[in-house]
Amino acid sequence: MSKLMYSCEQAAKLSSQAMEQPLAPTERILLGMHLMMCKGCTGFVQQIEFLRRASRKIPEVLEKYGD
Amino acid sequence: MAEQDDLALSLEAHRKYLQRYAQFHLRDASLAEDAVQDTLMAALAQRDRFEGRSQLRTWLTGILKHKIIDITRSRGRGLPADAVSLGEDSESFSDSFNAKGQWVDPPADWGMPDEALESNQFWLVYQECCKRMSRRDAMVFSMREVMGLSSEEICKKIEITTTNLHVILFRARLSLRSCMNKNWFGTDHE
Repeated sequence: MSKLMYSCEQAAKLSSQAMEQPLAPTERILLGMHLMMCKGCTGFVQQIEFLRRASRKIPEVLEKYGD
Repeated sequence: MAEQDDLALSLEAHRKYLQRYAQFHLRDASLAEDAVQDTLMAALAQRDRFEGRSQLRTWLTGILKHKIIDITRSRGRGLPADAVSLGEDSESFSDSFNAKGQWVDPPADWGMPDEALESNQFWLVYQECCKRMSRRDAMVFSMREVMGLSSEEICKKIEITTTNLHVILFRARLSLRSCMNKNWFGTDHE
């Protein structure tokens, strides 16, 4: 049974990986199950998605503060 | 000849921006200068390829990205990664997780984080937090998230495996989110 439940570390790692490549179907289902029950990991996913949006703006920011 | 001078002048106008862009990635003013110099030389040499197809700045930034990666590679600034810090063992993430794989400090709701994107101070904190990562982690992270290169491209350019890439990006994201949490989202600010 425990193999069917991801730890937060596994769930967070896969959430990060999912930003680079699609997960395998089983991984996606198990991750979805974990996220449904876990506020911390849901927060992590929102935070890293935000950090991606922020990072993509860096060129704009470098442009704004300077010349 | 006059046309040549025009281009040289237009290029000069972008130098400061390119310098900041290079310095963000290389964290070293003189290396950044080298990258910018190489970029401007390359731009003059390849002027036929520009043809006004895109914004001059976009074109220059495209060249600069490659120069930054070349410099990173040739000066051996921690790339490719040393084997030790790339271990897949959970130890590398022990700041964030305990032995059972539970969050030491579970990520909280950041509310409406996008409002922060308008704040100068937010960007200072962001840049400081990037500096807390190892050079290599910060470089790989910004190749992916700032330059927007694909994972395949990054792996090929700096000769790491996909697994290594995922480990580095995960570690970088954990570090950045934790630092931003401590220094921005968890604090009072204007």
